[in-house]
Order: sequence, then structure tokens, then C-alpha cells
Amino acid sequence: MASRSEPTPGGRAAADAERRRSATTADPAAGRPEPGPGTAGGGPAAGPGAAPAAPGPAAAPPTPAVIRATKVCKTYRVRGTEAVALEDADLEVLQGEFVSLIGPSGCGKTTLLRLVADLIQPTSGSLEVAGKSATAARQAREYGFVFQAPVLYHWRTVIANVTLPLEIMGFPRAERRERAAALLAMVGLEGFHRQYPWQLSGGMQQRVSIARALAFDPKLLLMDEPFGALDEITREGLNHELLRIWGQTGKTVLFVTHSIPEAVFLSSRIVVMTARPGRIQTIIDVDLPYPRSAETRESERFFELTTAVREALRLGQRGAYGVTATTPTAGEPGGGEDDATP
Amino acid sequence: MSWLRRVWPVVAVMLATVALGYPVALLFGLPLARQRMNDLSNWTSQTVAAQPVARVPTTPSTLTFASAPASGVLVRDGAPLASPYRQDGDTVQLGAPLARPAVTLGAALRGPLDAAGLVYRLPAAADTGEPLYLNGTLLHAGAIQSHERADGRVTTFTFDAASGPVAVGDRVLIQGRDYRAKGDKVVFANPPDFNVDVRRITGDYAVLDAAKGIVALARPAGAAPRLGVDAVRLAERLAGAVNGSNRTFTLAHAPLVRTDPSRQVYLDGTALSSAPERPRERVDGQRARFTFASSRGLVTVDGQLMSPGTQYTRDGPVVTFTQPPRRNAEVRQYRDYLVSDVRAGTITLATPPKPGSVVWAANYTYYARPACGTTVMQCFASMPQHPVPFPNWIAARVVPYVSHYPITDQRNIVRGVLYTTAGTVSALLLGGAFGVLLAVLFVFLRPLEQALLPWVIASQTIPIIALVPVLLLILGNVGITVQTSLIPTALIGAYIAFFPVTVGTVTGLRSVDPLALDLMTSYAANPFQVFVKVRFPAAVPFLFTSLKLGTAAALVGALVAETESNNRRGLGYDIVGQVQAGNVSDLWILLLISAALGIGLVALVGLIQRFTAPWDRP
Repeated sequence: MASRSEPTPGGRAAADAERRRSATTADPAAGRPEPGPGTAGGGPAAGPGAAPAAPGPAAAPPTPAVIRATKVCKTYRVRGTEAVALEDADLEVLQGEFVSLIGPSGCGKTTLLRLVADLIQPTSGSLEVAGKSATAARQAREYGFVFQAPVLYHWRTVIANVTLPLEIMGFPRAERRERAAALLAMVGLEGFHRQYPWQLSGGMQQRVSIARALAFDPKLLLMDEPFGALDEITREGLNHELLRIWGQTGKTVLFVTHSIPEAVFLSSRIVVMTARPGRIQTIIDVDLPYPRSAETRESERFFELTTAVREALRLGQRGAYGVTATTPTAGEPGGGEDDATP
Repeated sequence: MSWLRRVWPVVAVMLATVALGYPVALLFGLPLARQRMNDLSNWTSQTVAAQPVARVPTTPSTLTFASAPASGVLVRDGAPLASPYRQDGDTVQLGAPLARPAVTLGAALRGPLDAAGLVYRLPAAADTGEPLYLNGTLLHAGAIQSHERADGRVTTFTFDAASGPVAVGDRVLIQGRDYRAKGDKVVFANPPDFNVDVRRITGDYAVLDAAKGIVALARPAGAAPRLGVDAVRLAERLAGAVNGSNRTFTLAHAPLVRTDPSRQVYLDGTALSSAPERPRERVDGQRARFTFASSRGLVTVDGQLMSPGTQYTRDGPVVTFTQPPRRNAEVRQYRDYLVSDVRAGTITLATPPKPGSVVWAANYTYYARPACGTTVMQCFASMPQHPVPFPNWIAARVVPYVSHYPITDQRNIVRGVLYTTAGTVSALLLGGAFGVLLAVLFVFLRPLEQALLPWVIASQTIPIIALVPVLLLILGNVGITVQTSLIPTALIGAYIAFFPVTVGTVTGLRSVDPLALDLMTSYAANPFQVFVKVRFPAAVPFLFTSLKLGTAAALVGALVAETESNNRRGLGYDIVGQVQAGNVSDLWILLLISAALGIGLVALVGLIQRFTAPWDRP
């Protein structure tokens, strides 16, 4: 029932992580306040640290894994030479979790996301999304995808962009309007229904894109560096927004980023990946309480976690270049966090 | 005021273009005007003739002339008078009385033949060239033609002179009854007959009909004029030293008309001939020996005077060149003299005249001034057809051109514009529809694109002007003619308009952001939804851009189709007509109208884009 990480070097970290995951899932209230099952049906995440206090009715049965990847490999063929984009990726994402994929360029995080979205097919391994194959999940419209660019259709107004998936899925007109208006209100764009995308700022466009991804109420939200092209100030603002929306809707989020503070600030778990070949290095649990605010960024724990992620990335880097084969021990000094790094 | 801010750059550019029209017109026109001015064939020519005595002398030692050359020579019957005399301006003082009278008055003219007492008949038609004296005074001949040609309908004629009686054919008309004169304009009560001479008498008299010997006086005379026969005349003495070695002499007026049959140059009492002699042999490029009719004279090759001894040797009529003249060169011999310099009016005699002899000219023609004017600007302004007229000349033609045909006539320009617009729009609709259809097929069926694209491209390499007649013949065979139907115009326009639409739309349909397609995949959208919701809207800006190109192409097609038609409709027909008529200003007007039509139609497409696809940034 836990998402298992398999750090490059060996099984020790994996076992550790497994242990920890089991603990959390078994008794959410005991651990750090975590969203996920607790907030899935619970509406807006209210008071600090109060969210997990009411796990809600959905929390009672064992939480199903929304994404289950087992030994997933993806190899690209470029002019006869094979490039391994992703190797033996094992990952489980539970319902209501906010999982970030972080790693250097070429580590396969976007590949993993696109595999989950069934935009590309794995070379080997098995991938299950919402209990079905990835293709079936896509056809069942189980996920909403947010790209790095807003990818708004510039010939459609803001509201028409949000209603687009609903049109394709055959929702009645009135419901389309209603849902789109509600979502635009949620992302704070009430007054912009009739504007064209180019009349909005980059941050506003990305918010429209998020609203669109949520329009048909999918279980899962796949976000591929959605704030990567934005400036720091807008990005932090949108991070808060995203957490609020996540709290309100209780979606499961798989989030690709290469900003360490962003990953720490948003995620309940961080999957650290390494490049060449792309693989999962380690998985770090983020035990910062939800809801998170500007103070969270100032907290000592936040800095410890960022340091841990940075260390893990650095280890992965070194491993990737073949400097050392025994990364687990090298990871020790930077971490200092019993539940994040071994 | 904001529209003003938007409009002013356009206005400024238009004004600048118009202003630029002037230097460009001068740039193109001035060399032509200069050429016209320098081309002697466009000059008005004037004749110099030996003057008869102006007044029958009362004192036999003084002779007066109406006009006299600076250096004159008294002649009678083609020979200088031997008696000594002294010229002083227009008068000549004789040193000794003449053996015969200076003027012998001949027969009186018969007449008057009309009520007004103006028309007379010469005793014989052969006397036309003889001087006429009225009461002992020489009469000057002079008449000018009207600007307009009599075509049997025109009644208003314009002359360069504002006064004088008006003659039609050999009749002098009566003012008030037959015509009314207003300055240089004359309005006839009845239109003169077709092709008849309409003249105004500006001198003392005019010869109305040389064959019949009919002359008309400018004003009624008390007595009939009389012929002056055997008159002493004052001829022009050619400038040049007569020293036994000089052979070149200069006429007072130049440039000369090179082949002037009226020219009469004399050496003392002998008339000199300027007729060229041709060699008997063919000039084949090998031969150096040529035989001429006379055994003396000046030899020229291609107009270049050859010098005897060095360039040729003579043995009687046989001339041997040291260098054979090139094939077909003009080898000529001038027995007496040749005009060695037309511009300077210089002649060269074959043999130098002996000291004491006189070289004189009784008659010759020279070019007085360019017909178009004395300055380049005058010639520029008088040129009937400029390649680049001044903008204001074009502007002046607009109203006459547009109002030339009434709106009820098919040739009316407004109706022509509407007809061409109809042709262009139908061509655009047809070509646009076909182009989009082809593009959609190409994008969805790649093999079709691979199969057809080379042919589509090849179709555009066929010059439309060659294709149109064939297409019209084919369509004409099934009863569809460009005279009666817009279908051929639409087909021809569509033929060249569809190509940019196809290319643009294919590009547009392929221009979709891959992420936008990924997004549609994530929605599990079907191909039709992808096309309708993403591909087609993404192609719309490309479609409109290519439609604008297609509009210009459709207009070309419509114009070309119209040039092949003879139904007298449309701008294309009019353009060809004005080219054939040589109306340059009207062609410019048509060019501007066509340009405005093209711009207007493209702007219309842009307007449609703004309403149907408002998402594109303006």
C-alpha cells in the first residue's frame, strides 16, 4: 500500500521508505498532518494542521493507489541509437497525495508524466492509472494535464477554453458554463470570462490552464512544470493558489518541477530522480503541516527539507557521472532527517 | 481625431508618391523630349527663296526688296547680273541702269470671280510661282491651316492667326453669313465637307487651288493684280572665300534638309546638282574599283568624304579605293557638290570656284525650329503620350475618362469595375473553396499530397496567358463564353487563386502546437473533434493570409480573362483598349483603379477576418 522508492544503490533506503509509508497510511493522524485521503472529500483545508484531524469518510477504506508504476522503462530511438529516458521506475501514488518529481534535465520526469498520461507508451514495465491501464484511464478521462506552457487555444475566450474539454466530453451547455464559471472563480479569474488568452498575463494564463484541467473533475492532476516559465513572485503566488485548490478539491497531483523550494513547499512526497539513465533516486517525505503559508517557507524544517532534497540531487548527479557507486553512505551527512534519508 | 492619427501616414505616403510622380515623369520624359527636339524630322521647315523686287521701281537706280539676305546677289534668269551694284539693307543701289526693266508686269488676273471681289484666276496654272503685283507693289502669299481636320461634322475650327478671311477649299467664305469668327476660333454655319482644306489667309493673298490657278486676296482690291514676269531677284550669296582653292561654303540658314529637291545652288550662271551617283558595281566587300556616271566629283563611303590620292585614286569615271569598302556600304559620288554639314549648313563643291565667281542659292529649305517648342520643357509639355505623365495630367483626365460613357453603357468605368469585382469575387470563392478542400485532403491523406502536390505546383508554372485562350476555347465548345458568363472568369481566377490558399491552409493545419494536440489526446478527443476544435481554428490566420494572396491572384485572373473577351466589359478589356489607343494617361487611371480595387478587396478580406476571427491581434 505504499509507494515504494528504489534508490539507485540498494534496498536499504527502499525498505526504510516502505516502513515509513506504511506507518503513515495506516495511521494518518499519528504522523505529520498530511492531505491526501484526509482532504479528498473534506472541502477547503481550513485551520493550520487541522485538516487531518477529520479524515473524512473516504479515508476509512484502504486508500487505492491512483498510479502504480512497476519497472517502467522508456527508450527513445534517435537515428539508430537508443537513448534511455527512463529506467525501472517504480512508483505508487495514493489518492489525495501531492507528489513532486524533481531532478536534473533529462532525468525522465516529464517522460514519466507523459507515460502516466498515455501520451507515450512505455517500452517495458507495467503502468496502472486509477486501476486501469494508462490508455483506458486516458479514454476514461481520469486525469487533467497542465503543461509548462498554458497551451490555451488563442481563438477561444478564457471561458471557452475552460469549457473546451467539457464540449469534447459532451456535457450540456448549461453545465459547461456553470462548471467553468465556478472554476474560474476558484482560480480568481471571475472578471475575465470574455477576454482572449493574449490579453492575460502569463500567471493568469496558467491559472486558466489549471481551471481547464479541473473542468471535468478528473481524479488525477498531472502537472508538467506548470510554473517553470513564470517569475519567482508569480510562481510563489501560484504555489499558494495551487495548494488552496488542491485542498479544496482533494485531487491527487503528480507534479514535475525543477525548483527545490517549490517541490518542498507543495508536496507531500518528493521523488528525486537522476539523469542518464533516468531513474528514481530516492523518495523524500515532506512532513510540513498543511495548510502551508509564507511562514512555512521561513521554518527551519523547510530549510532542512530543501537541504535534504539538494543533497539527494547532488548524490544522484555524482552517481550519474560514475564518481562513486556507493551513494547511500554519501547521503548521510547532508540529510540528518531520519525519515527522509537513511 | 484618433482616425486622423491613423490616416495621416497613409495620406503622407500618398502625397509623397504623387509628389514623386513629378521627378519620375521628368526623369523619363525629359530625355524623350530632348530626343524629340533633336530629331530634325520633327522640326518645322522654312523655305528661303530669291526675293523679287518689292515695288516696281520709279527710279531705275534703286531697287527695294521686302526682305533681303545679309549678303545678296542680284540675279535674273538663273545668272548674276553683271552690272555693278551696292546692297544696303533692303535696298540695292545700282551703279549703272539695267539693260531691261527690273520688273516686267505681265497679264492681269481674271476676276474677281465672287461677289466679295476676292477670288481671281491666274492666266495659266503654270504661273502659280510667279510674283503678283498690285498697283506696282509685290503681294505676299500666306495662309495657315486650321488645327482641326474637316470630317464633315465639325463646325468649330481653330487657327494660329486671329484675323484674315477664311477659305474652304477654293471658296472664300463671307463672315456673318457663312461663319462667325471669335478671335482664333471660327464657327461655321454649315460643317465643311469631309477632308476639305480649311484655311485662313494671313498674307496679302493665298493660292487656293494650284491646279486651277485660283488665288484669293486678303482684302478687295480696286484693280486686278498682275503677274510680275522676268523680275530681278535678290538671291543669297553663300559665305566663303572665293580664292581658287576653297571649296566649302556656308548657307545663311541651318540646319539644312539633306535631301531637299527645291534646293538650287548656282556657281555663277550654272545650276549645280547635288544628286548622288551610285556605282555600277555591287559593293560586296571585296571589290575596290567602282565605275560612276561622271568622271569627276566627291566620293563618299557611308557618308564619309574620301580624300583623293590617299583613300582612292581616280581614272576617269573609275574610282579605285586603297581599302575595299565594307559589304553593302553606301558608295556615292557627288558630281557638283554635297551637303557636308547639315547642322552648320555647309556645302562642299567638287572643284574650287575660280576667283571672281559667285556661289549663290536661289532656293533652299532649312529647319527653323522644333515643332514641339524651343525649350525642352515646352517639348515635354507638348508630347502627346508620356510613359509617365505628370500626376496632375492624369488627374485632369479622370473626369473626362470616367464620364466618357454614360452609366447605361456597358463601357462605363463604374460598371467595368463592378464587372471585374464580380469576376474576382466569384474566382476567389471558387478558388478558396477548392484550395481549402485540397488542403484538408492533403493533411489527412498524406499519400494524396505526395501524389498531387507536384501537379499542383506544375499547374502554377503554366503561364496563365497561354492557358486562358485554350480554356476559353474548351469552354466555348460547350457553350460557355466569357462574353455571356462569369464562369470562365471565375475558373481562370480560381486556377491561380487556389494555390496560395492550399499552401497556406496546409501550413496552417500543420502549424498546430504539438502540446495542443497532446491536450486533445489527453481528452481522448476523436479526429473530427481535433480538426474542428484545434486544427481548423489554428489554420484560420494562415487561411486568411493566403486568401489575401489569393485575392490578388484572382484579380489578375479576372483581368486576364477580360483581355481575351470582346464583350466590351471589365477593366481588363478597357486596359487592352487603352493600350491599343495609346492613351497613356487613361492607362495610368486604369492602373490606379485596378490597384485600388485590389487593395479594397484585400481590405475586405481583412474586414471579414476581423469579424469572423476576432481573436487575432489587430
